[in-house]
Amino acid sequence: MRARIGTPLRVHPADPEADAAALVRLCLWAQRYTPCVAPFGSPEGGEGFFLDVEGASHLQGGEAELMADLAGRLSAHAIPARLALADTAGAAFALARHGSGRSIVPPGGCADALRALPIEALRLEAGLVTALKRLGLRRIGALAEAPRAPLARRFGEVLLTRLDQAQGHRPEPLVPIGEATAYGATRGFLDPISQQDTIVACVHRLMREIAPRLAADGLGACSLRLTLHRVDDVMRGLDLGFAEPTRCAEHVARLLRLRLERLGSDLDAGFGFETVRLDVTGTGAMLERQAALSAVAVPEPLALGRLADALRQRTGRRVIRLEPRASHVPERADMLAPWRNRAGRLRPSPEPVTRVTLNWPGPEDGLRPRPLVLFERSEATEVIALAPEGPPERFRWRRRLHRVAHAEGPERIAAEWWHAPAPARDYYVVECEAGRRLWLYRDGAHAPGEPAAWYVHGLFA
Amino acid sequence: MERSRDAEPDEDDPRPDRAAALASLRELVASDRTRRDPGAALPLGVPALDDRLPAGGLGLGLPHEVAPEAEGDEPAALGFTLALIARHLGLAGGEALLVIAPGHPTPYGHGLSGLGLDPDRILLFEVGSDDEAYLAIEEALRTRGLRAVAGFLDAGLPLKQGRRLQLVAEASAPLLLVLRPARADLPNGAATRWRIGGAQGARDRFGCLLRPRWRVHLERCRNGRPGTWLLEWDHAAHRFGLPDALADHAPAARAGRS
Repeated sequence: MRARIGTPLRVHPADPEADAAALVRLCLWAQRYTPCVAPFGSPEGGEGFFLDVEGASHLQGGEAELMADLAGRLSAHAIPARLALADTAGAAFALARHGSGRSIVPPGGCADALRALPIEALRLEAGLVTALKRLGLRRIGALAEAPRAPLARRFGEVLLTRLDQAQGHRPEPLVPIGEATAYGATRGFLDPISQQDTIVACVHRLMREIAPRLAADGLGACSLRLTLHRVDDVMRGLDLGFAEPTRCAEHVARLLRLRLERLGSDLDAGFGFETVRLDVTGTGAMLERQAALSAVAVPEPLALGRLADALRQRTGRRVIRLEPRASHVPERADMLAPWRNRAGRLRPSPEPVTRVTLNWPGPEDGLRPRPLVLFERSEATEVIALAPEGPPERFRWRRRLHRVAHAEGPERIAAEWWHAPAPARDYYVVECEAGRRLWLYRDGAHAPGEPAAWYVHGLFA
Repeated sequence: MERSRDAEPDEDDPRPDRAAALASLRELVASDRTRRDPGAALPLGVPALDDRLPAGGLGLGLPHEVAPEAEGDEPAALGFTLALIARHLGLAGGEALLVIAPGHPTPYGHGLSGLGLDPDRILLFEVGSDDEAYLAIEEALRTRGLRAVAGFLDAGLPLKQGRRLQLVAEASAPLLLVLRPARADLPNGAATRWRIGGAQGARDRFGCLLRPRWRVHLERCRNGRPGTWLLEWDHAAHRFGLPDALADHAPAARAGRS
């Protein structure tokens, strides 16, 4: 057959594989809105994807703004799309496919929004839809009001599951599209596993499968994601982070054991896990090391990384270190950062260096003495000074009167001009008669008629 | 019933064996000292003080406790603890872990470097309770990658935890310090107990503060003798010293004698 009217038709053979690949590309693009993007395909009645925007919509300014942004970007690329946002994936699907235009269902409004929609919207098989229509059940509202037991007997569990999932009575796990991880391994079990030891042993084996592939590329795992699929379709994800790249299966197994011990019964194995998947979500370059003959001895630089990892898994807290910052305002001059191995820091990194690393200036560099303890918020004190611009003579701090035996200063530290303007501070190192050394400052220059504001900012050893 | 313990073989052979028994007892008492190799100690560099300590310094792999003398002396106690770590890292190299329980401040980086302790060699671990701190210290002692481990604890080191930590630490032998607040005064398993009070600092020729100075009181010491000293800390040389009353300026000398 040849079409002769208007522009000549161009015929393309259907290419489902290319369609699926394009959908995956679109999903990866949509990860700009949320990390949890789950595609669906023709078995569910058309192609598209779910975005789980819970906790992510505020980044775009709200749900409505997110929808508008998404629609605008899609239309700019000439991708025809229908969007809907609802509490449940099922309801959002139904509204997008069969609703009117772009719609946002307010929280808790799923059942109302679905009432008028046709039953095709429930992602049912075609045969099931026909059978339901023959019974006169054309709308979801009618289906929801029908007695459940006969429905279940006649049409099976699938129908009620879909209905409950759309209305939010039953959870629906999304299978998010991961960034295709280059390194990963899966193991399925005929008999579901639930014991902690079994899970750890399984992960140990999976890591040993992955390790040679990592080693071949000269990489180590910086972070791992363990996905446990429960028998009843609930997914459990556990993320493990490392202080430095590793591919040691024993180390991974030990950390996982610590993590599972901390989780305890929160892991909720239910009737057991049937699939265990281990993915390497982050990699880092790993220097080749001579393999030791005995597995027990761990070289020292490695041992610290192991310790940091173990403490993090055991307590959920990170080992931190102090890092200098380029600021002369005392409270901004240092910060706490997650600890990294020194050897790792010195290693040349492939990414460009964007930050200047500072060394700690010492007293030899002309820096005035700094206190050993710096208060996060400086504490107000009442100070008696002999001269209005002079050092303190006596001061009352923490409900005790301190007599000053010796004072050094002032060291004037002005606020940084690129921040909000603040008065300059005059710092004094003060030694009490009891031998305690404190760091006091007067906020702002002396103004006649106004009492000077004094603060204690730190303590010296 | 009446057989007392004194009526055992001792009474039959009185004099000559007594010396031998004493010698064997001395050996038993000293075995704690000799079992470790003599190098496993951190000398403070002050002979008057090191002579009183069993191994010529702070024994490595043994818990040592530092406490402030009174409320308000906490910075002095913290400074003394960090000075000990700085001295040990200066002599032995390596890295140190500070486990910080709630109630203790996190040290200020520039203050650490002012005390002669490179902040890059310090690992900090802030915990939520003492129990977590013991766990972290124990884990750190097992690692053998650390030269010094210090716990800033709320309740100090009770006997049970102290014994446990000591057993773990014996293998790796790092410097193990415990800093506690002034009030918690429980019997504990520390090898030495120090109380630190503030003292007026050492001055230079112009009367400016030169070095921190502390009143250091060795309260309890297994196989050693307690005492009190005025110590000052030289951050550049990583060395403790006794104040030199003659060389110093008059006010500092006065403080030194008090």
